[in-house]
Amino acid sequence: MGQKMRLSLSPAILLVCLLVAFPLAAQVTGASLSGTVKGPLGAVIADAKVSAKNVANGQVTSTQTNSEGIFNLPNLSPGEYEVSVTAQGFSPKTATVALANEGTQSLDLALDNRLSLQDLGLETHGSAADQARLDRRSHMLKVHQRLGLITTVPLVATVILGSGAGGRNTSSTDRNFHAGMGAVTAGMYVTTASFAIFAPKIGETQTRGPIRLHKALAWIHGPGMILTPILGAMAYSQKSNGEKVHGLASAHAPVAYVTAIAYGAAILSVSVKF
Amino acid sequence: MLKRTMLGVLLFACPLYAADNQWVLAQSTLTYHVSHPLHSSDGVSRAAKGKGICHEATCEFLIAAPVKSFDSGDSNRDLHMLQVTRGGQFPVVSVRARLPEAALVAPTIHLDIEIEFAGQTAHYKQVPFTLALQGNEAKLSGTIPATLSDFKIDPPSLLTVPIKNEMPVHVEMTWRSQ
Repeated sequence: MGQKMRLSLSPAILLVCLLVAFPLAAQVTGASLSGTVKGPLGAVIADAKVSAKNVANGQVTSTQTNSEGIFNLPNLSPGEYEVSVTAQGFSPKTATVALANEGTQSLDLALDNRLSLQDLGLETHGSAADQARLDRRSHMLKVHQRLGLITTVPLVATVILGSGAGGRNTSSTDRNFHAGMGAVTAGMYVTTASFAIFAPKIGETQTRGPIRLHKALAWIHGPGMILTPILGAMAYSQKSNGEKVHGLASAHAPVAYVTAIAYGAAILSVSVKF
Repeated sequence: MLKRTMLGVLLFACPLYAADNQWVLAQSTLTYHVSHPLHSSDGVSRAAKGKGICHEATCEFLIAAPVKSFDSGDSNRDLHMLQVTRGGQFPVVSVRARLPEAALVAPTIHLDIEIEFAGQTAHYKQVPFTLALQGNEAKLSGTIPATLSDFKIDPPSLLTVPIKNEMPVHVEMTWRSQ
């Protein structure tokens, strides 16, 4: 019974299949054009009007992009087409495409903004080299900052040890320890300073803000850091010869104190910043 | 009398049929604000340039300023900001807004804004701006709720504590119709 039913239904099913298949076959004749319309930054543009004009006969076929920026123009005759796209807020765009006899040709279009940075007359191109110089400057100044903070440790230690190095009842061990710590401080100071001195300079930058005081103080602690060890060496020599520290060498301690204070102030001047 | 009325109607109607209505930025102040638990600062630029075009009932405005034109009063900080915002490679910050031309009469307008900065693009929807029209000038002011992470900027730090992610940009502009 069931088998008979299936056999009797077969011609009907065949007929339905044929009826359905013919329109499908008709739709695929000719060519179609599809693609996506996007903005200058790659965002899809919905409701953009897309028109394809057959160059040979002037016939125009139009459609609009859907919410995903996709358009489809089916049933086009083969040939060359001028495809134009317009969308609100964007400059119109035209492209030429040749369609083959059958099949779907893909054409993605990117629209430009009506206004560009060139319209404003601004220099928009930077360079990797400029950025590399900025990166190098920042890196070197960060090292300068960290080393500067670390240098305060031997500097404070040297100042403290100095009180036991210059008096009447001081030993050569105290003096040696003070001198050694002073040498460490001077070495670290020079290293710290070199990271600031050799950091790349960025042209046309006027110094403003706390960094001006920081740089001004360097004119005090910089010479002080050169003078202090020289005066210290003179004082060391006099003491080692059993003499009382005299002459220029007696300025060793005051110069060292001024240098240390200027150094501390330089750190404080740029501490409240990022 | 009739002739005068006709002339008035024509003069009023002509701009509606004109190709484009253009605006130019006459004056502007862009101010970014960054903050840290210990400190906060504002960087100000008055060097922005801008143009606007109204075409087929849609207006597009473009404003741009050199990143190095922002002045926080501390050149060291400004150079550091220039570095972290990749200003060497991307020297311009631009702000683009689109809105219907008909909206240019309300006292408060909501703009969809697109900002290109530090090599990244961020979109801000419906940012409220106040609008005041005076003669052929339009004064706009509002604050764009930008953040550092919108532009993939590593926050600079002070005493190992990074600054806050929020970096609101207050915008004051005077546009002149051309």
